[in-house]
Amino acid sequence: MEVKILSAKFDIEDAHLIAVAKDHGAYQTLDKLFSMSPEDVINEVKESGLRGRGGAGFPAGVKWSFLPKDLDKPTYLAVNSDESEPATFKDRYILVKDPHLLIEGIIICCYAINCHDAYIYIRGEYTSQVKALQRAIDEAYEAGYLGESVGGHDFRLDVTVHRGAGAYVCGEETALLESIEGKKGQPRSKPPFPAVVGLYDCPTIINNVQTIASLPFIIQEGADAYKAHGTEKSSGTHLFGISGHVEKPGMYELPLGLPLMEVLDRVAGGVWKGRKLKGVIPGGSSTPVLTPEEAKTVSLDYESMAEHKTMFGSGGIVVLDETVDIVKLVENLIHFYHHESCGQCTPCREGLGWMLKIVKKIIAGEGSMADIDLLVELCDNIEMKTVCVLSAACTMPVRSYLNKFRDEFEAYVTDAAS
Amino acid sequence: MAELVKLFVNGQEVEVESGKNLIDALRVVGIEIPHFCYHPALGADGNCRMCLVGIEDGRPPLVPACKTPVQEGMKVLLDAEHIKKIQRDVLEFELINHPVDCPVCDQAGECALQDYYMNYSLDDSRMQVAQVTKGKRMDFGCGVVHDQERCVLCGRCVRFTRQITKTGELGIVNRTDAARVSIFPGKPLNNRYALNIVDICPVGAMTSSDFRFRQRVWFLKKDPGICHGCSKGCAIYIDHHREKYKDDVIYRYRARTNLNVNGYFICDDGRLSYAGENENRQTSALADGAVIGFDEGIELVRERLDRARKPLMLISPDCSLEQMWAVQRIATLYGAELSGYSDNYIIDGDGDEYLINDDKAANRRGLELLEIDFSRAQFLTGLQHTDLLVNFNNDLFFGGVDEELKSLLDKTQSIAVCSHQLQVYESASIVLPTASYSEYGGTIINEDNVLQRFEKALFKNEDPKDVLEITRLLGGAINDAPHAWPGIKQSVACLADIDPQAIPAEGIKLQNSEDTNVGA
Repeated sequence: MEVKILSAKFDIEDAHLIAVAKDHGAYQTLDKLFSMSPEDVINEVKESGLRGRGGAGFPAGVKWSFLPKDLDKPTYLAVNSDESEPATFKDRYILVKDPHLLIEGIIICCYAINCHDAYIYIRGEYTSQVKALQRAIDEAYEAGYLGESVGGHDFRLDVTVHRGAGAYVCGEETALLESIEGKKGQPRSKPPFPAVVGLYDCPTIINNVQTIASLPFIIQEGADAYKAHGTEKSSGTHLFGISGHVEKPGMYELPLGLPLMEVLDRVAGGVWKGRKLKGVIPGGSSTPVLTPEEAKTVSLDYESMAEHKTMFGSGGIVVLDETVDIVKLVENLIHFYHHESCGQCTPCREGLGWMLKIVKKIIAGEGSMADIDLLVELCDNIEMKTVCVLSAACTMPVRSYLNKFRDEFEAYVTDAAS
Repeated sequence: MAELVKLFVNGQEVEVESGKNLIDALRVVGIEIPHFCYHPALGADGNCRMCLVGIEDGRPPLVPACKTPVQEGMKVLLDAEHIKKIQRDVLEFELINHPVDCPVCDQAGECALQDYYMNYSLDDSRMQVAQVTKGKRMDFGCGVVHDQERCVLCGRCVRFTRQITKTGELGIVNRTDAARVSIFPGKPLNNRYALNIVDICPVGAMTSSDFRFRQRVWFLKKDPGICHGCSKGCAIYIDHHREKYKDDVIYRYRARTNLNVNGYFICDDGRLSYAGENENRQTSALADGAVIGFDEGIELVRERLDRARKPLMLISPDCSLEQMWAVQRIATLYGAELSGYSDNYIIDGDGDEYLINDDKAANRRGLELLEIDFSRAQFLTGLQHTDLLVNFNNDLFFGGVDEELKSLLDKTQSIAVCSHQLQVYESASIVLPTASYSEYGGTIINEDNVLQRFEKALFKNEDPKDVLEITRLLGGAINDAPHAWPGIKQSVACLADIDPQAIPAEGIKLQNSEDTNVGA
């Protein structure tokens, strides 16, 4: 089932070194790239149907075309490598195993959007990854793929790595920009959108590592070759990080659109220890959970996930077996988002802490049925009332657990009462 | 006047100024949108979420009013059930970790949390888990005391120190509900405008150590006034109270918005200058140090003036235009020379680029317009030759004792008409108490040529007499401020068209200042 486009060089020893990477095709799109016009590149990417791999799935080429034309300001690219969503571990493979693929993608994107200064915002905790990435960038400069004349072409491109300081919220694109600017990482109100007013008040495109790393294939092989994988609306491949209670957890590149259960059984070896499935988190901790029943009919693409009232998210699939205590899972979940709330907006700042304390109260055997109802109501009161979607990233999944596994919450209340 | 746009609020058509956000534009037509973080001087931040309003057919359907400019045809929803629910919900979030210690909080009575709770919520608390605890009674410097638990993290104070004073002493540290406003370790507030933070804090998180626990705000009568601390003439509120069996006392000044003069803020020196109106006052008439009746004092002054061969009158540059005019008339009546000498009111280098001026005289422009000489040469010559000085409240030792003047004053018989007990009046043989600027009404002109009018705010048990009234008792014809105006208008060209009763709250910017000293 696996299709190795992004992960083509992952199994090759030392493919992170430029010499090895070049032997296996790195930077070979550049001549073709510079023979195309930037508009052609954007059209090719639009045509490929490539969608942003950061979680929201917005078409990448369309995003690029939002950049204002003829503005007397530079355009920036910020590559989002803040991969912090719990259960997500795809970009780190690219950073360590094939960083030159990312750099090549950056060159393609920057040429398309006329950007000469790209930033890679990398999660602070990614220490070995930042080393690998910086080494690759240094190699690319030395080999002339970055700098004054990219690959000998009349195009300057400088790439700067900016390390985060450990805040989840800095993966939100405008908080990421604030952080690069040296400010406290807090999301900005939109509009204006970054494509118009972004980094240092200049037009800025923010794309995920995997989105950018998908570009060399699209330029080299063409949009049709990319669209040959996946579904009509969810084209191409995706790196899936499958974790939790499966026999073979790991990172797998798969075309979009495969049935979830088939992937879990055939790729990940099924639920471990012969246990029963309790639920599946489809795309990182912020996506609403699927029951075993729902998991049977869902496939791994944006549309099917939306039909099942959840989201495709980041490709971080977590399998929950029958032993999982959902209430404690929710406690852990809220703990994370509460801890990571930037504290800017009132509902998120105050509300998530309140929810956490209520769940702790229920776990301590001091909760009531009214507390469960209050939790559901607080999800509604917080969600979409804030500058960014961090609060919704907490309340959407929490609501799904409360609705689909309410009996487990009630059991805590009734067990304590009896 | 800006262009007008028509929009709909709850289906009702309203016409408002374009170029403003919904909060400001709708406030003008009497529609309140609740908010904490937005302040017109500090711009929109959008963090409190209290001003979320619905936009019918809008994308997105829910927007923060502070960040939403008015648009022609916009359909704003304020009273829709889902909007009212958001207001209740946001208030609930603001309040769950708030100590609700209103009975001991100075902000009670002028607190946005209280007002909004009464207007938009009235729900019972559902908070049954432990509250977040934070720092209390934190000395932030400059007389600002911070209570982190009462704080709603709106960030107005932080933005004030970054945008207005550009000193940046404050920041919000930590994330989530551990976020709190803080100074940097060992670096307290250090600017001359810090107490504005107390004014702009919408809740009781920032209080003034000067005002704390001294008066409940609902007892305070809040009258508009003009600060007389320097030639800027900042608009203020004089908050005062006359407690039963006691006298009318000023408890604080606060900034009053006047976009022509001071914007939204005042300096701390001016703010704290209220104390000078309460303290050290001259309350009784004196003759050679002995208390005498006021009427008796007036008689003595008349006699001395009648007897004097070369009387010299000195007027304070803080006096109102009307007072200056009246003293000018009385000087003519008694054949006295008149000086407005006040070089010592100018403290070189004390001013800044913002609201604080070097010149501490509130109405030097008044002296100029009435052509009252305030040169040192004229005053020195006059003082050397006079046999009687009548000083109308001019503190010749403001900023320090002037030894040259002191030796001359010691040799001269003098009369002091003064509001305060000051060293300069000690050599006076007769002292008459008079009202200070919170106790009379009048007009003054600031350094930027803005004419402002203020009314009598305080009514003391024994109301001190205005300089105007004293000139009348000395035989002058001007018995109140309005009576001074026909003459003022006749002799000062740039004031000829002014109707003193119709001076707007923001004042009038006088024109043609250079050629106005020519009498009509």
